[in-house]
Amino acid sequence: MPTDPNRFHPLFESWARRVRGRLALRHALTGAAIGLLLATIPAAIAWKTRHGTLRPLAPLIGLVGAAGGLAIARRKRWTDTDVALYLDDRLDTDETITTAVGMRNESELDDPTRAVVVSSAASALATGDAKKVRPHLLRPIHVLVPLALAGLVFIARAPLPVVPIAVAAPGTTKVQLQQVEGLKKVIALGQITPRDEDQRKRLEQLAKDAEKLRSDLEKGLEKREAQDRIAKLRDQIAAERLSLGDGEQRAGMEAAQQKLQEGDLTKGAAKALGDHDLEALDKEMEKLANDREKGDRERAKKQLQDAADAARKGGAPGVAKALEDEKKKLDERGKRADMLRELEKGLQGSGLESDDLKQQSESLDKSGSDRDAKKLADAMGKALEKLTPEERKRLAEKLRERAGQKGISPGEAQDLKDLADKLGTPEGQKQLEQELKDLAKEDLESDESKRQQQLDDAQGGADDTEKDIDKKGQQGQGEQGQGQQGQQGQQGQGEQGQGQQGQGQQGQQGQGEQGQGQQGQGQGQGHVPIPIPMPGNGNGNGNSNGKGNGSQQQGGGPSSGPNGGGAHGGNTGPVNNADTMKSRARGPLNKATSMPGTQTGTVPGKAGGTAKTQGAGGLKAVGPGEVDGVDHSDVPQEYRDQVKQYFQP
Amino acid sequence: MESFEERLKQAAGAIATLREAIGKVVVGQTQVVDQVMWGLAAGGHILLEGAPGLGKTLLVRTLSQCLDLKFSRIQFTPDLMPSDVVGTNVLVMDQTQRAAGSMFTVQKGPIFGQIVLADEINRATPKTQSALLEAMAEHAVTIAGTRHALDEPFCVLATENPIEMEGTYPLPEAQLDRFLLKVIVPNPTEDELCEVLARTTGRPMDAPPRVLTRESVLSLRAMCRDVAVAEPILRYAARLIGASDPTSKDAPDAAKRGLRYGAGVRGAQSLVLASKAVALCEGRANVSFADIAKVAKPALRHRMIRSFEGEADGITTDAVVDALLAAVPTRSANVEAERGKAGEART
Repeated sequence: MPTDPNRFHPLFESWARRVRGRLALRHALTGAAIGLLLATIPAAIAWKTRHGTLRPLAPLIGLVGAAGGLAIARRKRWTDTDVALYLDDRLDTDETITTAVGMRNESELDDPTRAVVVSSAASALATGDAKKVRPHLLRPIHVLVPLALAGLVFIARAPLPVVPIAVAAPGTTKVQLQQVEGLKKVIALGQITPRDEDQRKRLEQLAKDAEKLRSDLEKGLEKREAQDRIAKLRDQIAAERLSLGDGEQRAGMEAAQQKLQEGDLTKGAAKALGDHDLEALDKEMEKLANDREKGDRERAKKQLQDAADAARKGGAPGVAKALEDEKKKLDERGKRADMLRELEKGLQGSGLESDDLKQQSESLDKSGSDRDAKKLADAMGKALEKLTPEERKRLAEKLRERAGQKGISPGEAQDLKDLADKLGTPEGQKQLEQELKDLAKEDLESDESKRQQQLDDAQGGADDTEKDIDKKGQQGQGEQGQGQQGQQGQQGQGEQGQGQQGQGQQGQQGQGEQGQGQQGQGQGQGHVPIPIPMPGNGNGNGNSNGKGNGSQQQGGGPSSGPNGGGAHGGNTGPVNNADTMKSRARGPLNKATSMPGTQTGTVPGKAGGTAKTQGAGGLKAVGPGEVDGVDHSDVPQEYRDQVKQYFQP
Repeated sequence: MESFEERLKQAAGAIATLREAIGKVVVGQTQVVDQVMWGLAAGGHILLEGAPGLGKTLLVRTLSQCLDLKFSRIQFTPDLMPSDVVGTNVLVMDQTQRAAGSMFTVQKGPIFGQIVLADEINRATPKTQSALLEAMAEHAVTIAGTRHALDEPFCVLATENPIEMEGTYPLPEAQLDRFLLKVIVPNPTEDELCEVLARTTGRPMDAPPRVLTRESVLSLRAMCRDVAVAEPILRYAARLIGASDPTSKDAPDAAKRGLRYGAGVRGAQSLVLASKAVALCEGRANVSFADIAKVAKPALRHRMIRSFEGEADGITTDAVVDALLAAVPTRSANVEAERGKAGEART
């Protein structure tokens, strides 16, 4: 039964709304799926960056996606013709609806077929199956909606990741030391008696730097900067220790060393001087001064004087002054020793000598040290206090007798008489006792030796400070629960030889409040020409072997330090014919004839000018055997011809 | 006055009756008969191509018998002259007035029929073939300077042998273009052949009844023009024609390789007109995409000129039309996509 054509329009609009509505819903679902999928990314980022409060906001992106989908659906909204074509296709109406839509606005009078077509279309729409026409709503991408939602819920409910413990870069940890005792010894360098004005300025600057470092350490300082500054201080102190006879004074230094080397008694002093070890030099002189043999002392004094003269002559006044100072001290020490020995002999001859005195005297003879001399002086003073007036007289007599004996030099005899005179009166005795007490306290070390001593103390102080800094830095890391893996190796290297690679293990264990470090164990390689004490609490073993002419210290010296005391015993083997190796800074040039072949062949002529001329080379003079050399050469004939052709004049 | 709907039903019924009447004589060939019906309803001319003995002439003769129309037949031969087709002025002697009674009178040729069977049209020379041009295009002929209108309805049904056969003159493009449809007559099936043998070797059959009058045919043609075509269908037809141009970017590969020239405007007109006839024959007042697809081959196959490569590769124009139908989408992309999804869902 035909349907009223007038029903077509509302019927079509109704169907079109349904179709468009489902299409828009599908677009919205697609947009929501994409939006939710994208929302998982910021949600995951928020979780990762521990912005937990932002996670619930991520699904809003899904809503935005749905809105976007709706916007796209609106933009791609099907026209009436599209809807009609779709309906025709689904209802199998042979494009009747499409035709009817196209004819909607035509008058029936104009087109007699309109009524038929529209009526047919209306019938089709009226009887059409809505389920058949309904656009498919869900698409495969829509499965992302529940999946993405589940993911977002999971992310929103997941506990935030634990805040990672920040590991500071090596050396960036702050070090703060309230008491820096070691640096005080460095600061004290500003107060010592300098060798000269230049040294005074250097030492004052050193003290200022140390003072500044101490102040900074009290406020807090990065470990690596602290280590750098303390290392500079150490280097400056070491350079100061070696400054005597350095640079331009080296020639004078070597001349003085040579002079000392010539004497039998001063060989040790020569070595000590060569090593810039003025303490050792002073010890040598101390032994000689306290020696019972006066002749040896005199010879040593002469050697010292000769060495001082040679040093001065060689342009090393500092060395000369140091040697003369040593000579002066040698003299004073000798006199002190002589007086003590004379008194001891006098007491012995008077039967007043105690066992203690005897023992001290033997110790002095044996060691020859100032320390024993002082002990003897102290013991002698105490012994004199206990003497009765008769005993004093007897002692004085004995000294006078000794002054009159043969073999006593006039000077010595006078000294003995002076002693006897002092003992003759209570006041003199008191004075003598006081002198002996002063002797016991007197410090006869040379200035250079004292400076050396103080520089050594400063070096030790710097070492202690560096140790404190390292220890403090490790404690700081340990508090964060980061175990440190130790890895250190050392390699000895001499001047001419090279030590074999050392192997070392170093472990450090850190344990702090929040975590626990792991035992580190490592095997390392490194170049450490001069062993540097490394702070730490690990255990390390290492060894290195070297061959060469370097000294043991340079070729693999022992490493010391609380963290890794490895054995680095190494030997540098002798270089063959090392004593005959020589080099010349400027070797003579031997005159000779010119190199053969430099002017061979002919000189080419110029067009319109000169002709080809025979070369004036020395070939005929130096290489007559090379004439026809090509012919005699051991090459194939064709090559030979080619070469001859090439060199044809 | 009858409504369009009632007329539409009557037309569909008349076509069905005609088809049935023809079917009593012509065995099988239902598609060929349908296509001839479409051409007749659309008011176009039809070219039937097939090997000799397949019933082409019989079909046309039967059609003419079923229609109350004047039928004429022209047997095209190589020596046939144009005047033999259209007619000529002849001097007629009046026996009663011998001296002054002679006069030229028009001797109308066989073209002056309503159903004209141009049998084996490609056996005549192109010159003679061209004699049909004016008649087919304008439904009129000019004889000795005088234009003579042809009786309506006028329909030329030509038969031709395949051009590969010896002694044939291929129809020129202008001539071919005048045919609304080119119908390929296939070989009968075994059952059909048996039926043919049974009918033709027995007693002579009775002539088919006349089922349509001249007015009915004219009404049918008028109604065909009234069938509605929606714009998307017109655009589809236009896209098909555009894609047949081998230089077009939308042309399928078969068209690019196999064609030198695609179908022109007449092709598009034929496509839509024939599809209207299809709709009419099926009792519909509007054209569908399916109608376009149905008539695409008979309406376009003779309007596309193959290239050398196409001929060498054996790419037929029917194959090109198939490629066009496959390549050109009927609906907009959105709807096509939705159709695809619906198809998948249904699957």
